[in-house]
Amino acid sequence: MERVLSAEASSAAYPAPLRTGEAPGQAAEGRRPWRSVVGRQGKAEAPEKLALRGIVKSFPHRRGRLVALEEINLSVREGEFICLVGPSGCGKSTLLRLIAGLEKPDAGEISINGQAVDGPGAERAMVFQENALFPWLTVLGNVEFGLAMQGMGKRVRRARAMEYLAMVHLAPFAHHYVHELSGGMRQLAAIARALAVNPAVLLMDEPFASLDAQIREMLNAELLRLWAETGKTVLFVTHSVQEAVRLADRVVVMTYRPGRIRAIIELDLPRPREEGDPGVVRTRLAIGRHLREEVTRALQEERNHAGRT
Amino acid sequence: MPAVLRKAAFFAILLLFWQGACSLQFCPDYLLPAPWQVVASLAQGWREGTLLYGLLISLKRMGIGFGLAVLLGGALGLLVGRSGPLAQAGRSLLMGLQSFPSICWFPFAIILLGLQEGAIIFVAVMGAVFSAAIATRDGIGNLPRNLTGAALTLGARGWRLYTAVKLPAALPGIITGLKQSWSFTWRSLMGGELLFGNLGLGHLLMQARDLGDMPRVLGVMLTILLVGMIIEQGLFARLERAVQRRWGLESN
Repeated sequence: MERVLSAEASSAAYPAPLRTGEAPGQAAEGRRPWRSVVGRQGKAEAPEKLALRGIVKSFPHRRGRLVALEEINLSVREGEFICLVGPSGCGKSTLLRLIAGLEKPDAGEISINGQAVDGPGAERAMVFQENALFPWLTVLGNVEFGLAMQGMGKRVRRARAMEYLAMVHLAPFAHHYVHELSGGMRQLAAIARALAVNPAVLLMDEPFASLDAQIREMLNAELLRLWAETGKTVLFVTHSVQEAVRLADRVVVMTYRPGRIRAIIELDLPRPREEGDPGVVRTRLAIGRHLREEVTRALQEERNHAGRT
Repeated sequence: MPAVLRKAAFFAILLLFWQGACSLQFCPDYLLPAPWQVVASLAQGWREGTLLYGLLISLKRMGIGFGLAVLLGGALGLLVGRSGPLAQAGRSLLMGLQSFPSICWFPFAIILLGLQEGAIIFVAVMGAVFSAAIATRDGIGNLPRNLTGAALTLGARGWRLYTAVKLPAALPGIITGLKQSWSFTWRSLMGGELLFGNLGLGHLLMQARDLGDMPRVLGVMLTILLVGMIIEQGLFARLERAVQRRWGLESN
């Protein structure tokens, strides 16, 4: 598995299907207001927002160490939507936590706008899968939280939080407590809370993984709308190929232990991406093939391991 | 049958048994007084003012003792909740001190503070401070990882991470722990008052013993029991439920 499938190799292997699709900006102008924004012209030339160079991370494990991530290099442009996929245990969530500053890499550098980051901060706000909203605060209080931490005055931050709540259509629930909301609404509130601090990069760790398929699809569409409205750079971890293909500009497929980048697949497909669209189907199959190999390997290794102990 | 009625019926039956035992005259009434004798003794104590005075003194000591225990214990809990070998050693000492009978601090307190008010409150504090510390530490140590993660990536730092996130997040657990700490305060205080009778309910109890006045002994015991039940079930249980409801932790 020695970098046979680097990013270049993979796009060479699947060039035709992945490069097709309508040219940006060409599709159905005006029908959906965000469409024209989605195909953001010249994204390829947009400045680098986030850079990962030579990231290595290991954890203590039994008597030795388990290498979770090995030599991760990735450059993310401003306004890009990146999805990280891989089998469970591939370290994709760990990578996100490293970028967030919640954990420190053993080696390598993470930089935002060319500046190395050290420790967590609001310029890399993160949305978690669950249990991350503050239950003792109202929805509004939650969205205000990050602004309060910046020392923003009560009136200003309240107004700003309400704007973001309106953006995710949760304004009527501003004074509800978290446990009074449905799972999908909670995740929208968490997204509003993260966007309110105006982060340079929005990190999302399987934010919709515990929701049912219909809700997830709706929230995917909501997220794309918010992304288009705010122009944020997004890193989104998911184990669903379908979700990744629905959302991403580029999908990063990771290998199972140690986690490396197996392939980076560009999706030059117009949004919204219909499930049956030939380009979407081909891309999904291509990513699925990568992922299946890794999952098979993961299963084998786990089985071997179980056999030894 | 509603819960209140069921409870009332239970206590009525208990009273009936008590009265029945007295009516059968198993033993003389100076050893086992009838319920009405105990009530009469309580009424007399109330008229004299001794009961109310003793009650107020004990409640005051309890309030001061518990307040200090919560403040000190909370700070101690935050300290040993940090990582590092020193905090770890601190935790094991804390566990040890929690099982140490608080009344054994009394001689120490008397030499240190003199045979007076301070020594009694000292013992009451010692009864609760370690369990309050452990409650705080456990509450903060068992928070969901995502909760603190979210706070950190929203820019929470330093002491504000504690005051704005960790403490409120841990509050339901801390309150449950403090309910126990409170009962430790109450027990230790009564122990102290019994040993060194200087006013308070414990002192009334010892006085009654000196007089061989069983109705009064039972009356004061009942008072102590009632105070405990009111504070624990009327105050703490309510507070606990309110916080759990607000935090969305209510289990139906």
